[in-house]
Amino acid sequence: MAVPVRRRAADITAFLFASAATAFGLLWLFWILWTTLKQGAAALTPELFTQMTPPPGTSGGLANALYGSAMMILLGVVVGAPVGVAAGTYLAEHGRHSRLAAVVSFLNDVLLSAPSIVIGLFVYELVVVTAGHFSGYAGALALAMILLPIVVRTTEESLRLVPDQMREAGFALGLPRWRVTSQIIYKAALSAILTGILLGIARIAGETAPLLFTALNNQFWSANLDGPLANLPVVIFQYAMSPYDEWHTLAWAGAFVLTTFVLILNLLVRLLARKGTYR
Amino acid sequence: MNDTGTLIRIETEQTPDLPTAPGAIVMHDLNFRYGKVQALRDVTMTVPANAVTAIIGPSGCGKSTLLRTINRIYELYPEQHASGEILIDGRNVLDRRYPLSDLRRLVGMVFQKPTPFPSSIRANVGFALTYYQRLSKSELNDRIEDALRQAALWDEVKDKLNQSALSLSGGQQQRLCIARAIAVKPEILLLDEATSALDPISTAKVEELIHELSERFTIVIVTHNMQQAARVSRRTAFFHLGELIEFGKTSDIFTNPREQRTKDYITGRFG
Repeated sequence: MAVPVRRRAADITAFLFASAATAFGLLWLFWILWTTLKQGAAALTPELFTQMTPPPGTSGGLANALYGSAMMILLGVVVGAPVGVAAGTYLAEHGRHSRLAAVVSFLNDVLLSAPSIVIGLFVYELVVVTAGHFSGYAGALALAMILLPIVVRTTEESLRLVPDQMREAGFALGLPRWRVTSQIIYKAALSAILTGILLGIARIAGETAPLLFTALNNQFWSANLDGPLANLPVVIFQYAMSPYDEWHTLAWAGAFVLTTFVLILNLLVRLLARKGTYR
Repeated sequence: MNDTGTLIRIETEQTPDLPTAPGAIVMHDLNFRYGKVQALRDVTMTVPANAVTAIIGPSGCGKSTLLRTINRIYELYPEQHASGEILIDGRNVLDRRYPLSDLRRLVGMVFQKPTPFPSSIRANVGFALTYYQRLSKSELNDRIEDALRQAALWDEVKDKLNQSALSLSGGQQQRLCIARAIAVKPEILLLDEATSALDPISTAKVEELIHELSERFTIVIVTHNMQQAARVSRRTAFFHLGELIEFGKTSDIFTNPREQRTKDYITGRFG
């Protein structure tokens, strides 16, 4: 069948524009990856993961910063994710028809769009000032508060995607709500909820502002969460601002590690999403 | 339209031979509202035990609402209200003091679209069983097998009980839902257009199953498909605009309806 020339031309034009737009978007991603890789290549050695952050003029790695970041992210997720899933469950399941849920949902949106530096300042006042010193706990708390609204929102939306008929089928068997939710609805929405948590982790992994006020930084190895703790974003920030070349290289390497980590998380998200929720 | 009084009398005169055995459903002045919209108006009828009763009528006539009232599934939605009486085994199940889990153990429901839970076939059937009873592993397996056999699904799934229920075909999923519902040994089964999402062969299988199950269960089936009502049911109720217009033997309703509206509907003049 002959397709009219006009339609073919329109098709090709649209295809070209769409491809160009895609390429334009991807360009920046690869540019960022390439730049961080090129500038940080000199520091991308095993020592990066075994040596401490060095004083100016000597060589070193980011081991303490990577460890500190990992601990605070982990603790932030352990605190923030369960609360977020529980609150999202309330909004989507128990509080469906209540005014309170509508208010909570609105407040959650406010928290979601709160600048992270504000959250950092809040935790600074709440924990750092009270305790009298910077600490990893304060950092983890700030990260948890950034993660929380993301998990609340994604959990609520994932649960709402589960068709009502599934709930009715559970209730029609006489099962109580907690059992319908925990054994049927969560299962149907599991990958979507996990996706939300992973996206939240990707978001807090790169947060710098809230950690500046809470965990601060630590030049030495420290596993003590009750004291200042080194972490990747703040180290990158400080080293990038410094006048020393070795520090610049380390900052680039840190940026590369961070970007790669976030990229891997996003790939995981894609993989989970493909596994799919309830059809 | 306050001629329902006469209708009620027609009901009782027409159906004096109804058994009020366990599993019969006796409705008295049943009214139902979605917010301000009246969906059922003074419905009074007796659904006989251990037989198939079909509910027919045009869209929005209240037939699904009637089913959803019997197991009080409507209570999930705060704007929906029912009043009147539904007596099962002599007790008014609309009474708030009647425990929901008791009612829903007594009354199983199967929906229009198959609703397998995202678990294994075994877990789907075992779900409610383990909630109501403490069963040993072998007892549980026996009950699951029994339910699947009754639902005419056992031979097709016996080798893959641990596979996801979502891997089954639509017709198999629907029979799984029936197995799941009868596993807890209810007296009553409500089927809400349970075959309208299935292909003709699956539909035939489910209809055959309904016929077999009617010896042990009181079955109420809502259907858009009048041939289906004629094929599977012993009694048929015709609803229009929330009112019960006519209720009687299926053969009478389809060959010799008393009401003009019933006649118009089954001859395809509206709906």
